[in-house]
Amino acid sequence: MSNVNAVTFTIVVVLFLLVTLIGFAAARWRRAEDMMHLNEWGLGGRGFGTFVGWFLLGGDLYTAYTFIAVPAAVFGAGAVTGFFAVSYTIIVFPIALIFLPRLWSIARTHNYVTPADFVRGRFGSRSLALAIAFTGILALMPYIALQLVGIQAVLTVMGVGASSGNTFVKDLPLFIAFLVLAVFTYVSGLRAPALIAFVKDTLVYLMVIVAVLYLPAKVGGWGHIFSTAEAHLKSTSPVTHKPYGVFIPTTSNSQLAFSTLALGSALALMVYPHSVTGVLSTKRRDIIKRNMALLPIYSIMLGFIALLGYVALTDKTTAAEVKKANNAQLAVPYLFQHLFPSWFTGVAFAAIVIGALVPAAIMSIAAANLFTRNIFKEFFHPEADNRLQTRVSQWASLTVKIGALLFAIELPKTFSINLQLLGGIWILQTFPTIVSGLFTRWFHRYALLVGWLAGMVFGTVAAYKVSTPTTSHWAGSVNTIWGHTIYIGLSAIVLNLVVAVVLTLIFKAVRVPEGTDETSPEQYKADPAEAPVAVPAGVDGGVGVAGAAGD
Amino acid sequence: MTQPSDTPKTSSGSRSAIAAHPVISAVIAILIFSCVFFSVYVPLYASATPKIGDFPFFYFYLLAYMPVVGVVLGIVLFLQNRLRAPADADGPGEVTR
Repeated sequence: MSNVNAVTFTIVVVLFLLVTLIGFAAARWRRAEDMMHLNEWGLGGRGFGTFVGWFLLGGDLYTAYTFIAVPAAVFGAGAVTGFFAVSYTIIVFPIALIFLPRLWSIARTHNYVTPADFVRGRFGSRSLALAIAFTGILALMPYIALQLVGIQAVLTVMGVGASSGNTFVKDLPLFIAFLVLAVFTYVSGLRAPALIAFVKDTLVYLMVIVAVLYLPAKVGGWGHIFSTAEAHLKSTSPVTHKPYGVFIPTTSNSQLAFSTLALGSALALMVYPHSVTGVLSTKRRDIIKRNMALLPIYSIMLGFIALLGYVALTDKTTAAEVKKANNAQLAVPYLFQHLFPSWFTGVAFAAIVIGALVPAAIMSIAAANLFTRNIFKEFFHPEADNRLQTRVSQWASLTVKIGALLFAIELPKTFSINLQLLGGIWILQTFPTIVSGLFTRWFHRYALLVGWLAGMVFGTVAAYKVSTPTTSHWAGSVNTIWGHTIYIGLSAIVLNLVVAVVLTLIFKAVRVPEGTDETSPEQYKADPAEAPVAVPAGVDGGVGVAGAAGD
Repeated sequence: MTQPSDTPKTSSGSRSAIAAHPVISAVIAILIFSCVFFSVYVPLYASATPKIGDFPFFYFYLLAYMPVVGVVLGIVLFLQNRLRAPADADGPGEVTR
């Protein structure tokens, strides 16, 4: 640990201890009479207002992916595979405004905790709900792993543990961060990330504002940054014998890749279980709507963070260090370390670490809720009471995090990033079921199930086949169909929908049972002021009763 | 079940409101569609010129687009509340809550 900067290290540790304390104290925040209830542990009491909701959703949606992976992609390949994220985080909000308020209302009315709870109630299908829950957990694992990779990137640049050849010592700091995360999530549930999100967002805002005002001038101004980036991206890579990347997408295929990546990612983001968890934790329908208009403020920040990839490219020392490490994920951490005074590097690194912990906590809670509600209670323990459900969720959140930790440590970094892209392709396949279900019962439940399967298989195989000269499989998330370069998630969802439509017509013609629908149209616009009552009957209203649905 | 009694009134209010205010409803739909379209239709802004300050137009456009979407969605919410207001006596109160 000889090359560790003491000032940077101390500041990171102090801020980390601060959020740890907050994480444990959160258990007492807005304390309910009975904390052993999924509405409390898993949804923070379903009572957050606009202000807390903004911080929580912002803390939820903007992750290590934003702070590390996006600038890394901009650093490595420019506009199409990196800067599309800016377009994506713009259009996600108008799209979400169309369906999220309806999801909130129906979940509030029927006390649904997960998106799969809703599918269960709407389509009367245990198998379809299982498919949604399974996909959610599957897609979240690599996403949590990505958060840990983000923390790892910071630790590597700080030099903590990196000098040791021993894997255990090398990853010890990551284990510690992980352990703390696991314990405060177990104890405080969703209240912990909600409260820590205040610290996270303050630090992140500070980091971005300072970075944007301070760094460009240090490397020669925005004009110089853009011209350097353009020259670099247009030059030919010795490995692939193609240009490094795209500075401005002018060909029709690069434009198509840009917009399908943006559109596909935007559709995916709001059906991710952790987004739904954040949404359901708010107390009024209007709060969701208001936040869809307020959250773009957060995206402005994302735009500038993405451009830090170009700043890193312009700073010669940073670019050389990243090249030496052969890991573009280190671009932003190296840039900060090289150009900021060491105390502010500490603040910025802490922002990234805490920025990864908050979404990781929410994601593990969301995955745990899916497991408890839609697998454990549904298939193994139908009579599980609130206390048992909460206990199972607490343990499931630990299990999910251990799985993610293994991902983060065992797999090469590029693999983990690509698994996150694969997660996007997978979660998109739940979009037709969840979002169509919010508006219409026209689709047949089994048609949606087969459509989901078709999309999953096609998407997984297509993503597996993507290769570059340096990586044989899982090398990206776009491929070429009939001469057009398209995000695989989007082509898979089209296949998914076509199958669902065709089979719905067939199943209706031969009168396959459609299952019972426990919802009614006016409930999709309801705005119950009170959270659903915390009595077992209320909980079972959603999921337990409809066993007679017939599948 | 756990449904409060005022809910059906609110929802039937907003449902008939779409029929009662076709113009406002259409404006809302157009605004939301535009937010998505003008970002997804890349040929519109994929050029280096005109430069705004040091920023190539492509990058400037996307950065400037975000606050615009925030404002447009704010207008959408305002219009949605207008839709709801006549049928729902406590509608305006809800906005400030």
